[in-house]
Amino acid sequence: MVDLAYTPGEAKPMLNADEVARLSRDRGEAEWLATWRRHALDRYLSCGLPARHTHLWRYTDPVSLLPVESTRDENPIAMPAEPAAPVSGTNAFDSGDPVLQLLGDRSFRMNDAARDCGLEIYSLSALAGSDARLLGQAVPARRGVFEALNSVLWASGIAVRIPAGLQLDRPLRILVPATERLTLPRLLIIGHEGATATVVEEHYGGLDASRVIGVSEVIVAANAHLRHVLLQHWRDGVGGHLTTRGVVGRDASLSTVVGSFGGALTKLDLGARLTEPGARSDLAGVALGEGEQRFDHHTAHLHEARHTSSTLDFKVALSGAARSAYTGLIRVDEQAAGSDAYQENRNLLLSTQSRAHSIPELEILTDDVSCAHGATVAPVDEQQRFYLRSRGLDRRRADRLIVKGFLDGTLRALPAAVRPTIETLVDRRLRRATGGQE
Amino acid sequence: MNTDAIAALNQDYRDKYGFHDPEEYLLKAPKGLSHETVEMISRYKGEPAWMTEFRHEALDVFRAKPMPGWGNQELLHSLDFDDIHYYIKPSEEPARSWDDVPANIKQTFDRLGIPEAERRYLAGVSAQYESEVVYHSMRDDLQEQGVLFCDMDTGLREYPEIVRKYMASVIPVRDNKFAALNSAVWSGGSFIYVPKNTKVDIPLQAYFRINAENMGQFERTLIIVDEGSSVHYVEGCTAPSYSSASLHSAVVELVALKGAHVRYTTIQNWSTNVFNLVTKRAHAHEDAVVEWVDGNLGSRLTMKYPCVVLRGERAHGEVLSVAYAGTGQHQDAGAKMIHAAPNTTSRIISKSISKDEGRSSYRGLVKVGKRATGCKTSVECDALLIGDAARSDTYPTMEVAQQDVRVEHEARVSKLADEQLFYLQSRGLSAEQARLLIVNGFIEPFVRELPMEYAVELNRLIEMEMEGSVG
Repeated sequence: MVDLAYTPGEAKPMLNADEVARLSRDRGEAEWLATWRRHALDRYLSCGLPARHTHLWRYTDPVSLLPVESTRDENPIAMPAEPAAPVSGTNAFDSGDPVLQLLGDRSFRMNDAARDCGLEIYSLSALAGSDARLLGQAVPARRGVFEALNSVLWASGIAVRIPAGLQLDRPLRILVPATERLTLPRLLIIGHEGATATVVEEHYGGLDASRVIGVSEVIVAANAHLRHVLLQHWRDGVGGHLTTRGVVGRDASLSTVVGSFGGALTKLDLGARLTEPGARSDLAGVALGEGEQRFDHHTAHLHEARHTSSTLDFKVALSGAARSAYTGLIRVDEQAAGSDAYQENRNLLLSTQSRAHSIPELEILTDDVSCAHGATVAPVDEQQRFYLRSRGLDRRRADRLIVKGFLDGTLRALPAAVRPTIETLVDRRLRRATGGQE
Repeated sequence: MNTDAIAALNQDYRDKYGFHDPEEYLLKAPKGLSHETVEMISRYKGEPAWMTEFRHEALDVFRAKPMPGWGNQELLHSLDFDDIHYYIKPSEEPARSWDDVPANIKQTFDRLGIPEAERRYLAGVSAQYESEVVYHSMRDDLQEQGVLFCDMDTGLREYPEIVRKYMASVIPVRDNKFAALNSAVWSGGSFIYVPKNTKVDIPLQAYFRINAENMGQFERTLIIVDEGSSVHYVEGCTAPSYSSASLHSAVVELVALKGAHVRYTTIQNWSTNVFNLVTKRAHAHEDAVVEWVDGNLGSRLTMKYPCVVLRGERAHGEVLSVAYAGTGQHQDAGAKMIHAAPNTTSRIISKSISKDEGRSSYRGLVKVGKRATGCKTSVECDALLIGDAARSDTYPTMEVAQQDVRVEHEARVSKLADEQLFYLQSRGLSAEQARLLIVNGFIEPFVRELPMEYAVELNRLIEMEMEGSVG
């Protein structure tokens, strides 16, 4: 790891080229990858932190997502002394499902099921061959200062290669615990032609000072069908910026499921580029906030080819003084005639202090399309509450039931393989959110 | 649509509105903007010292403010503020009788169809040519009831205490760069005051015309409707087709006091060399209703987001807008609703048509403040695309600082439906007639809200724009 030093007058930590080269050398990376990191560093040094009035940054202060200052000796990527458990428990490795865990300073460890399931899993530092050109395809360093920072410094990176035609029947679970200070995970998931697989990326753990700046790239080749589940149940206090983008090819599909539950401040940038005819992306999201939690979600469905389609269903329920901002873009390019896109964002407010902002956006550059979006923000229906209480439920239970009902349509549409995991997280969160207050 | 048809379309605008008169002005300020220009305008108008100072301060604000960092950057930055005439005085004091209007200007308005015949349907008429109002009249009975309707300069001269109280109270000078520009060089516009419990049941109308090339028109309108009163104000705008840009940057402030009802209707049909950058905002007090009915058909670039600040309990705001963007046009229009009091309601309905290479954007903001409990708001955007190079954007923003509120937003973008076209054609309509019928159906909810003669005019304009749209 390198020094993360702040110099006066400079908002982002300064990095120097020699240290980045050393980091690449220490990991035994090939020359092309060292060059790749150096280009990312140029990009990082040339861009400032986003201004608060710019698009997608009106609701979040970028400074609060940056790591605190540290030196090499402090080891910002050490694991907290008391590690947290993933949702499947501390013995996740023995469950029989393929599981791998990212480690802060080394690469990763995995169980036998992961080794034997037919997937090719290796460290991103060892990326080579035709897969090498895919790095940065979906999330280039130029996307923003956080993406650039991750590109320069990612320490634990994983490539998951799903060979052509492989039908993976059990989901691959990738566990990403947050380290003490700074976690820079990077995933490259490549689904080759005709492959079918589900990959669950689970972020958890961390301490107050933990910052997670992650990038996940999902490449879906022709006729492949991938499911990417992104779950976040960090401990209180954690701040995270995660960018995940899919690139979907001919007659292929990507289904993304997002569950945001933990952390103090979460900024997620999700989406897919539909680059070939027949490509499809479906995105379902659930965010539950309480206390002082802040969520800032952005989704983008970019239709770049004819006859592509996308759907999006994003639900947010907030209690306490939690806040959420959701910005969803659908863009249909000139050459993407015959496409259709649908987007829905609903926000339920359970308390007088909670706030939700919804900004759906459409950019339609051709006429042969069918696009629609809808957004609502509303408090709990007092009649529903009254009815449930009149049937003997206390307020906490009534609220829990109302939220479950609100999320029901979204949860029910989830694939059977991941639904129990998300329902567990929802239940845990609801019990906590409605537990202590009346 | 082929180029011949586009040429034919533009031809039509040139014939009907695109002509220009020889320039015979009393005063034409040289191009460019400076404190001297501001001083000259103010001195020429014989304004009180506070207004001169107001203008100078506004000029400093204008210079200090950056261009908006959003919207069509390329077009915005193509504006050359030094290549514009900021003040042109076409004639002496506004005429009270149509006969007294200088012949050349009268001829212009006759050609535009704002003639005496139309005055029969209206309670009052004001016509602005370049920087000044050249003609003005109002029905006697309204005058007797104490309704004030005059140009803004006269308003400042004769009712300085009302003007000073309300001017820039709704849109402060610092609001945005173009509001500051208007505050520095404003000239003309309408001043209306409707006293308590007075219903003005026939619309008051203003007509705005730019004639000179590289002209900047900066009218300033202030409408105050006292408790329990109502008024409907209608404005229309045209300009000649020049190859270089003209700038229209108005500031319109409405104050609807307790229980008042104001409707403000605009049919904007500037020629496609005009930059139309307008700030419109209303304050709606307790139980007041403010409606903006906004039609944008012309201009090169329009950036306009009529706003209602719902300040009093149970106030209601409404924006109903239609935008049409053909090749070479960008209609960046929308609406803002600021809920600042409990139980306020608002509704925004926006319809846009983008044809050929036209681009229309809906940009809106609904904001619900901390104390605004029990509010309801709905936003509905509907876009119709005709031609595969047409573009439509929707950027609604909702900021809710309150839990007890219902916010709804819906948007749809679609093309002219082939099944509908096919059906109509199978009933014997030509493809062109079928398209026109569908477009008319699409904007019908808007047209229904217009005064009759405006509805007829709008239908005619749409028909003209849709001509030759087959192929």
